[in-house]
Amino acid sequence: MSGICRARLAEERKQWRKDHPFGFYAKPTKAPDGSMNLLEWEVGIPGKAGTPWEGGVYKLMMIFPEDYPSKPPKCKFSPPLFHPNVYPSGTVCLSILDEEKSWKPAITIKQVLLGIQDLLNDPNVNDPAQSEAYTMFKNDKVAYERRVRQQARENVPK
Amino acid sequence: MSSDYEISDDENEYYDEEDDEMEVDYDDGSASEIEVDAFGDDFKVAVRSERKLYEVDYTSLSQPEIEKIMQTDVDHISGIFGVEPAVAAQLLRHMNWNKERLIEKYMDNASSVAVAAGVELPPREPTPPPPKASSSRLSSTGPQRTTRRTTAENLKSSPKSKRTTPLVEESKEFVCPICFDDTQTEFMSLICEHKFCASCWKEYITSKVRTEAECKIACMAEDCNIVALDPFVEKALGDDRETWTRYQELLVRQFVSCIPHLKFCPYPSCTHTVSCPSAATKSSLITMVPIVTCGASNTHVFCFGCPIDTDHRPVVCAVAKMWLQKCRDDSETANWIKSNTKECSKCQSTIEKNGGCNHMTCKKCKYEFCWVCMGPWTEHGTSWYSCNRYEEKNSVDARDAQTKSRASLERYLHYYNRWANHEQSAKLSMELYTKTEKKMEEMQVTSELTWIQVQFMKKAVDVVFRCRMTLKWTYAMAYYLASGNEKELFEDNQRDLERAVEELSELIEAPIDPETIMTLRQKVTDKTVYVQKRNEIMLEDTAKGYLEGRWKWNVTVEGFDSA
Repeated sequence: MSGICRARLAEERKQWRKDHPFGFYAKPTKAPDGSMNLLEWEVGIPGKAGTPWEGGVYKLMMIFPEDYPSKPPKCKFSPPLFHPNVYPSGTVCLSILDEEKSWKPAITIKQVLLGIQDLLNDPNVNDPAQSEAYTMFKNDKVAYERRVRQQARENVPK
Repeated sequence: MSSDYEISDDENEYYDEEDDEMEVDYDDGSASEIEVDAFGDDFKVAVRSERKLYEVDYTSLSQPEIEKIMQTDVDHISGIFGVEPAVAAQLLRHMNWNKERLIEKYMDNASSVAVAAGVELPPREPTPPPPKASSSRLSSTGPQRTTRRTTAENLKSSPKSKRTTPLVEESKEFVCPICFDDTQTEFMSLICEHKFCASCWKEYITSKVRTEAECKIACMAEDCNIVALDPFVEKALGDDRETWTRYQELLVRQFVSCIPHLKFCPYPSCTHTVSCPSAATKSSLITMVPIVTCGASNTHVFCFGCPIDTDHRPVVCAVAKMWLQKCRDDSETANWIKSNTKECSKCQSTIEKNGGCNHMTCKKCKYEFCWVCMGPWTEHGTSWYSCNRYEEKNSVDARDAQTKSRASLERYLHYYNRWANHEQSAKLSMELYTKTEKKMEEMQVTSELTWIQVQFMKKAVDVVFRCRMTLKWTYAMAYYLASGNEKELFEDNQRDLERAVEELSELIEAPIDPETIMTLRQKVTDKTVYVQKRNEIMLEDTAKGYLEGRWKWNVTVEGFDSA
């Protein structure tokens, strides 16, 4: 299986370098010895223009299991994000990232990242993952938005 | 996180009393075989062929037998709808094997059922097929694309080969979008025509079946709900027969979980199923304890009505569950704290008084108070060390509550200790087993007895073990029985059984003397018969009590009228 996993990731890397959506970045991390670690990617997801998330680029780690693409990658915001569908650990709760829900081997890294970008300003209230953002989103939209804008300012790329 | 499995929704719905009449008559009424021939010549009393009151009628079915039943349903549907068996099977799985509902819904709107089940494409495809894939095959697939959307007729008329055999073709320019391995030459797709290479399909199906225990395999393309039918799965798995076998087992499990009167044997890696129509409804569980044994091994004893995988007779499922829950959770720990400690009335620290006088000084906040009335010590004035405020209402209430909770704890411990004791002894009788074996060998050497003749020892150990299990559960039952004549009679039976079991236990443990071995044999044999009889009386009487509605509980039990 690891054969497919690495070959697929190498191809994903190639496709990404050829073309990727504006404002995003995605690159495999480096192992301490300087070699490339294809199983762990560091990616950045920009907030959509015209939303309170605009301006920020949110850093996320993608961790690929050995049986990828049969199993989905784990996506984890680092540092954890203030968002109703992000666990306190930073892990993203999204149906396309759940093998028992909508994950399909044909889903590409680009589709995953665009899916997470969509999720930013369109949280799923039926699947809350952290109580802080969820309760604020439910009870006080104004305060929620203020908090999101502040988070965007904190995540402006240098 | 919500899961959208439909099984859970329907399970309760079809657990109704009226709904358990299935058309298939695989319950041929053959009496259960357990216990019929468990004892040899020495134990004539036990042998009775008719079913006892505390036993249920059931049949054990092997995996091939279940598969045959499934096949009957599939053939039936396949015949009515004029679809291929593989399609019929997927339709039935989608409807949780509720044939009547499937027929009704399918007659109403075949297309929507077929789309929901993943055997047909939705009326309009959200995205056009990838140009690369279609360019080479456009001419051959074009006309079908239009007809495929017309549902039922299509399912009927489409040639067999188009639906069951996956499209395998060689293509030079096509690269599998999963592995991007350009050396792959063999591609497969479902009716949605999403093409992937054969090795990715195999990898994906294996992962679904083996790590997720999932038998519904959807196409690998994003948002595509088309389900891989059995012939496709078998072909994709190729020479991996082990995964294919596992897949078939999962299909059987799914079927069994949908039918109320079937239950899969819970023992590890056992593939047998038990059919017990009389215990298929929730309401039946208040009058019986459906303990069954699967055909694979007579040690595979489990309850048909609940997830407890031991023989919990004579206690009905709901009470057994309550008792286990009570033993598990630490509500009794809280009870202990309540009975043995008090709280400082100022800082609420929990204090256990283990000696000394009633003049308490809280270690934490230095508050001084009287242990008896819990009032401040200063108010005790000159009557040092004798609390004259004892009769005040507040303190009386507090003491009452405390006495009550202490009594309830003692009551629980009374039953729990006896329960645990029998469980412990039953465990020890496993050790006894090995000891007994040695003893039996010894007997063969020291006496004239043959191997057959020393079997009585082993049988006695078996009986002791079984009766200890009964006794164990009688304590759970007694804990919840409302006091009254019925309970007294119950406890009389319990006492008789317990005494007999202990006597037999003692006999088994007794040292062997070649002189007295014949009398010992006689004694053990007699006692075994007696104990067995007592056990039967115990079980029979409780079973009868359930049928007569004789047992009243001191708590509200699910399914019973509240006392």
